[in-house]
Amino acid sequence: MDTLAYSSRMLNWSPLGKLLFVVAVLVLNILTNSVLVTFITMGVGLALMAYSTNFKIPFIIFLAILEAFLILVIGAGVISVNGGYDDGSTVIWDTDFLWMHFHMTVNSFNKAWLILFRGTAGITVMLSFATSTPIPHMSLAMKQVHMPVELIEIVVLIYRYAFLLLERMEAMWAAASSRMGFNGARTSIDTVAAIAVGIFIQSTNLSDKSQIALDCRNYRGYFPVFTEPAKMGAKWLCAIVVIAVGLYWFGLQTEDWINMATILLGVS
Amino acid sequence: MALFELQNVTYRYNSRQKKNSLENISIKVNEGRRTAILGANGAGKSTMFYHFNGIFKPTSGVVLYKDTPLDYSKSALRELRSDICVVVQNPDEQIFSSTVESDVAFGPMSMELPREEVDQRITEALDMVGMTDFRMRPSTQLSYGQKKRVSLAGALAVRPKVLVLDEPTAGLDPQMAREVMELVDQLCCTGTTVVLSTHDVDLVYSWAEDIIVLNHGELVYSGEPEPYFTDAERTAYAGLARPHTFSVNSYVSKMRNLPEAPYPRTTSQFISKMAPKGSVGGKVRIVSVKDGTEPVTAEGAVGAYGYTAKKFVQKNDVKIDYMYDALEMCMQDAVKGKNSVLYCDDSMVSMAADRIRSLEKFGINAEVVM
Repeated sequence: MDTLAYSSRMLNWSPLGKLLFVVAVLVLNILTNSVLVTFITMGVGLALMAYSTNFKIPFIIFLAILEAFLILVIGAGVISVNGGYDDGSTVIWDTDFLWMHFHMTVNSFNKAWLILFRGTAGITVMLSFATSTPIPHMSLAMKQVHMPVELIEIVVLIYRYAFLLLERMEAMWAAASSRMGFNGARTSIDTVAAIAVGIFIQSTNLSDKSQIALDCRNYRGYFPVFTEPAKMGAKWLCAIVVIAVGLYWFGLQTEDWINMATILLGVS
Repeated sequence: MALFELQNVTYRYNSRQKKNSLENISIKVNEGRRTAILGANGAGKSTMFYHFNGIFKPTSGVVLYKDTPLDYSKSALRELRSDICVVVQNPDEQIFSSTVESDVAFGPMSMELPREEVDQRITEALDMVGMTDFRMRPSTQLSYGQKKRVSLAGALAVRPKVLVLDEPTAGLDPQMAREVMELVDQLCCTGTTVVLSTHDVDLVYSWAEDIIVLNHGELVYSGEPEPYFTDAERTAYAGLARPHTFSVNSYVSKMRNLPEAPYPRTTSQFISKMAPKGSVGGKVRIVSVKDGTEPVTAEGAVGAYGYTAKKFVQKNDVKIDYMYDALEMCMQDAVKGKNSVLYCDDSMVSMAADRIRSLEKFGINAEVVM
């Protein structure tokens, strides 16, 4: 993600502008009940990601979207079979299985699809932000919205040291593998537990040593950013407001345009 | 003049600790002298370092910097740490910014220097450690050796008066280790006092003027290296070995019925001492690299010493035989009677000439042409 962010064509865009844009789009995505708005959001997210990565969206990002999509499918499935008895819409499916009762209505079916689309759209937009904004830029954006300095520094330090701990975990994993540490289910569980404990102990050691290293470098409680990205200007604000208002209006106009139950099941 | 002085310093990390980490240490580190702190793992080298810049406060005893006891107030420590830079052994603990540029910029920006000045310092520091091409690279994507160089660049950008290096060559390949030591030489020539800790006795013997030896937190020796290494038993007691050049000189001198002194510290000095009597030394032409310097016609092998010299030869497409350890290689050529050309940073010319002339003490009179 870090590599992508630093090679992004959107790297020098205002991080605060990007953050507010993403937040605005996500909020509007939830405020409106239009499937079309979720499609537009998804389109915007994918387009930004394509532009950011110079039309070379890495396979790993596709996998991330796919994974999130599969999780959302499960969630949407559960929502669709938990329709209300008094929602006034046509019942599509009603059955008992063991101790569970499934009740799918047109409303719950449509709601499930809307949530699935919303979730997927939200992920694409958030990923477009994550793949174009390195953490230092993000911390700068957080600073500009006057978030507590302590919180920002914690974010930066967690980000930095997470990599180190991951590297150490990989080394421990490789060492365990070369000592038959994953030979059988029981041994594997023991090894994973030992690695987890090891990483925890390493993290405390690392924090002690890092504190010393920070003091050695005259740390004053903040990480200065040398190459600052563009600041958020009036253009950004106008664009965000126009897009937000436009999407909201469009969402209100197109709320009932797409009915998934009718399209997929022929029920209205 | 003593830059640092530790007077009866004892340090204990916590009250549960059975033994003190430093026990009644009294030493002096002199300004401008190349000082190395030697000791096996766990000897207390790093603990001692952290007393120099006030990270650790002695449990008892006093630490003096420029004859004044350290003031442990926040503002005084900030000032002290702008003067004294400690580069820790593991670069992963030192580098905490996400790009090379921002990490090197950290020190100068914390000193609230103007942006142009910070930019200039980043460029210069990265240039010195040969990492200019990596300026915008995320620090997580660097190899260990590259991280080590970036951590050094971070310290250089602060332009400290004293540079304290904890195991500067640990984990580096031999070529990179030589590069780092060359850089250290350059810093010494430009007025920075360098103190380094290591258990690499060969490195120390060829570099240091003074050594401080620690063993389990206790001071074993402080002074010039030869008297310490003469006593093999004492060296072994501190968990160290005698330097290779020192041992070989000792054995060969005995075999040939020669006096051990003068003690050669480098290969060139050793072969100079062992060369047949009457051998004629070669000539080393030192070309001082500064503004307006032009490449010269090669009279034998060509070497580049110092980062400005390296940049110069690359820019001018000069064919180079010795890119690393060039001074020592040219000295070896001189001992063998061969001539060579050494492109040298202006600040290092005098030191390089002195070292070449020092071969005379070992038997070979190498001519220095400037």
